[in-house]
Amino acid sequence: MRSRFASILLPLCGVFLVGLIWAAVSTQVPDLPSPLRTWSESKVYVLEPLEKRGEMDQGIVLLASYSLWRVAKGFLLGVVLGTPLGFLLGLSKTFHRMFDPIVQVLRPISPLAWLPLGLVVFQKSEPAALFTIALCSMWPTVINTMSGVRSIPQEYWNVARVLRLSRIQTFSKVLVPATLPYMFTGYRLSLGIAWLVIVASEMLTGTPGVGGFLWQEYNSLIYAHILLCIITIGVVGYLLDRMMGYVELRLQRSN
Amino acid sequence: MAYLQVRDVSKSFQSGNTAREVLKAVNLSVDEGQFVSIVGFTGSGKTTLINILAGLLTPDSGTVEIAGDVVRGIPPKAAVVFQNYSLLPWFSALENIRLAVDAAFPDWDRAKQVAQATKYLETVGLGGAGNRRPSQLSGGMRQRVAIARAFATEPTLLFLDEPFSALDALTRANLQQELARLCSEVGRPVTTVMITNNLDEALLLSDQIIPMTRGPRATLSTPIAVNIPRPRTESQLLHDAAAVRIRAKIVEFLADFVHTVPRGSSAQAKPNPLTRRALTEKPIMEEQG
Repeated sequence: MRSRFASILLPLCGVFLVGLIWAAVSTQVPDLPSPLRTWSESKVYVLEPLEKRGEMDQGIVLLASYSLWRVAKGFLLGVVLGTPLGFLLGLSKTFHRMFDPIVQVLRPISPLAWLPLGLVVFQKSEPAALFTIALCSMWPTVINTMSGVRSIPQEYWNVARVLRLSRIQTFSKVLVPATLPYMFTGYRLSLGIAWLVIVASEMLTGTPGVGGFLWQEYNSLIYAHILLCIITIGVVGYLLDRMMGYVELRLQRSN
Repeated sequence: MAYLQVRDVSKSFQSGNTAREVLKAVNLSVDEGQFVSIVGFTGSGKTTLINILAGLLTPDSGTVEIAGDVVRGIPPKAAVVFQNYSLLPWFSALENIRLAVDAAFPDWDRAKQVAQATKYLETVGLGGAGNRRPSQLSGGMRQRVAIARAFATEPTLLFLDEPFSALDALTRANLQQELARLCSEVGRPVTTVMITNNLDEALLLSDQIIPMTRGPRATLSTPIAVNIPRPRTESQLLHDAAAVRIRAKIVEFLADFVHTVPRGSSAQAKPNPLTRRALTEKPIMEEQG
């Protein structure tokens, strides 16, 4: 009983308290909608989540699904590029010496800086957005895969050698299983970043999705919808992280 | 001609600007099917030697020859049992063995490989534990799996690096007997080199015992033949005249090295090695303090 109270009721109390603070602040800031006004102005998007009324004027689940689909593509591209790069950096000292400085320099660059470059290179907003998501989100995958490979105990390498495993066997039976938990930690962090980047890239490219909608409603002075988008982004991001966290935990248990 | 022949092997390790000479002019020759134990202090370079024999380390000079051929890298038809079991934790016990079988006999089909793995798992008494992961097995069971993995590849050469030192005394005694049984039952000559710091273990299993001098610049001394009929038991070896004589000889030999503590250490060693089965360096050093 006590644990149920702690795990369900306490978080609800937290939500309620933050709502109160929001309500209090909104009485002081004229343009900030109160929680109740936010709900009354946004409920059509929430209650008819799959309704499509116009290019941007769509139910919140539809909007989120556009963003998620874009994130999925960009994230997968990042994983496909980042995982082999991580393996190479972890396996080869030469490769590491050559490219680690570049990785460290590229890593902190904001999506807002990459996006214009993507637009210049690809001329279209969609590939530019994917390029930005992939390029920003791949680094945790690269870094974690690399450190996973580097932290494989010498005894596993020795086993692979004395058993005279082939290169392919060593890769698939030793290297990948030993690195997998690290890789998934990287994937989880990468997905989080991909979701962060999506909003910025949609804002700048004006494509339909949660971020695009947010920016359009800001320009249309419908501030309640900004809050709706912010909450949606947060909830979806949280669910994504929990999902990846679950997979990660399963992998670590099985090792 | 000896099956395994080590000629003048030396090895140094570079740490910073100083090179530490671990092995100096090690010579060893083991006839086919013989079981040789190398006994010596912890940290004397035994593991370095077995890593060189197993091809995991390259000697600075000298050669390792098997059946007359100089070997570079991992020798074919050799198996190694490590002190820390070294099973892959993401595979079941059976799959760990099957992977070794797959690498040794790549042209066998999967069913035959599984049958081979199962056969050797049953030989070490773990027929029912094939699906368990190493983390679900006790230390003794893990080492059984590691031994089964080694024998399942049908090696002609077997290297054992302190295989039982991480186990409790009872499990260790059981596994020693098991290993002796496996070596005799396997039906073809398996030339074995075991590294150990346990003299009783060496007496139980070996045809020859070779004491290793204390490092740095460790080398092997004259082999001592163990002419005690098999099967041997631990209690029999406590009183057997030959065993007592050999034990005394080796302990005296190793004790000489305890008295000549390396320069820089002012300690006056006054060990009573006969009471010490395990020739670890540390307890003796403690007595000096």
